[in-house]
Amino acid sequence: MPMCSMRKGTRKNERGLLLLVLACGVFLPGNIASAQVYLPKPPPEPSKYGEVILDNHSTVGPGPVVFDHWLHRSKFTCRLCHVDIGFAMKAKATGISASTNREGFHCGACHDGKKLFEGRPIFAACSNAASDKQCDGCHSLGKQGVRKYEYRKFTAKFPKGIYGVDWEAAESSGVIKPADFVEGLSVKKAPMQSREDFALKAGYSWVHPVVFSHEKHSIWNGCELCHPEIFPSAPKGTIRFSMFSNIEGRYCGACHGKVAFPLNNCQGCHPGAPLWAP
Amino acid sequence: MFFATKFMAKMITAVLFLGLVGLCSVRAMGALQSSAAQANPAQQTWRKEFNEVCSKTQAAMTFSQEELTDLILRCDALLPQIEKLDESQKKVYMGRLRMCRGLYAYVLDAKRNAKK
Repeated sequence: MPMCSMRKGTRKNERGLLLLVLACGVFLPGNIASAQVYLPKPPPEPSKYGEVILDNHSTVGPGPVVFDHWLHRSKFTCRLCHVDIGFAMKAKATGISASTNREGFHCGACHDGKKLFEGRPIFAACSNAASDKQCDGCHSLGKQGVRKYEYRKFTAKFPKGIYGVDWEAAESSGVIKPADFVEGLSVKKAPMQSREDFALKAGYSWVHPVVFSHEKHSIWNGCELCHPEIFPSAPKGTIRFSMFSNIEGRYCGACHGKVAFPLNNCQGCHPGAPLWAP
Repeated sequence: MFFATKFMAKMITAVLFLGLVGLCSVRAMGALQSSAAQANPAQQTWRKEFNEVCSKTQAAMTFSQEELTDLILRCDALLPQIEKLDESQKKVYMGRLRMCRGLYAYVLDAKRNAKK
């Protein structure tokens, strides 16, 4: 082989390598940046996880309401509030107001001054007779020392996981017994027809399959909370569930990552997956 | 004698007048009561139907396609009645009806897809 053609080949290889390095230099940071966008963010501290700020009329009145899911989910199923009482799953979609509360809807479904909790009447929400201090109990954003319950004290006896209270364990051990019926609004239902658990094979060989328990989910949520609004009807195999859509708050991400255990808890859905807790 | 007859006639007229007034007021009260009673049953009718239709969501998978279609039609028939309710009730029950109907339509669709 002549010497000059060998040199030409080496130069070609060098150029190719240089182009490859340059291409990597251009695309790799972009890929890393987009991958960071699609990684689940570490959840906030347990006392703040599932906190919802109701801010419909912040310019007037006593200010925004701070709603803690950890307090209410220990007493009631998700279905009771999001189906029977009518709290929407999206912000500002409920149409909650002081007058709906006073008329016995939304918060007023339980907070009516008559229903009992631990033997005492539950305070009436948005009552005209309420003092400023009583209003601050719920309208507490930015106010110090006005909340009645404190996370650490309230959940002291609840079983814990990496991300705070393990609600599933709390229910199965009988520490909590969430109610699923509120007088005046709930409908006495036919017994639940339990659906079988099923596995969803992941798109990549290195990802463990998802084991979905219909039973666990339907006890707390009923059927109509998930179908069809979160999981619409489609022929089998036509919807691709991905972590990207979950992180964006769709499908499993409608609850997981907001109120139910966070998406960072891989083992919660992918049993057998390595423990990873960012 | 003339005065006595005239007095008697006046008395009879007064009694008849009072009787007529009494009868009218009784009828008017009855009409008021019945309209109130009608308003209540109307309210109770939609609620009873709503409870009956939406109490079956947990067993939706066990229904046939015909039963599901019937439940969807019953939900549709409830919609105009719920639209007439006051604002607070409408907010809550429209949402509940939407979820209830949506589930039956979802299951019906799933059953149709499974048959394909």
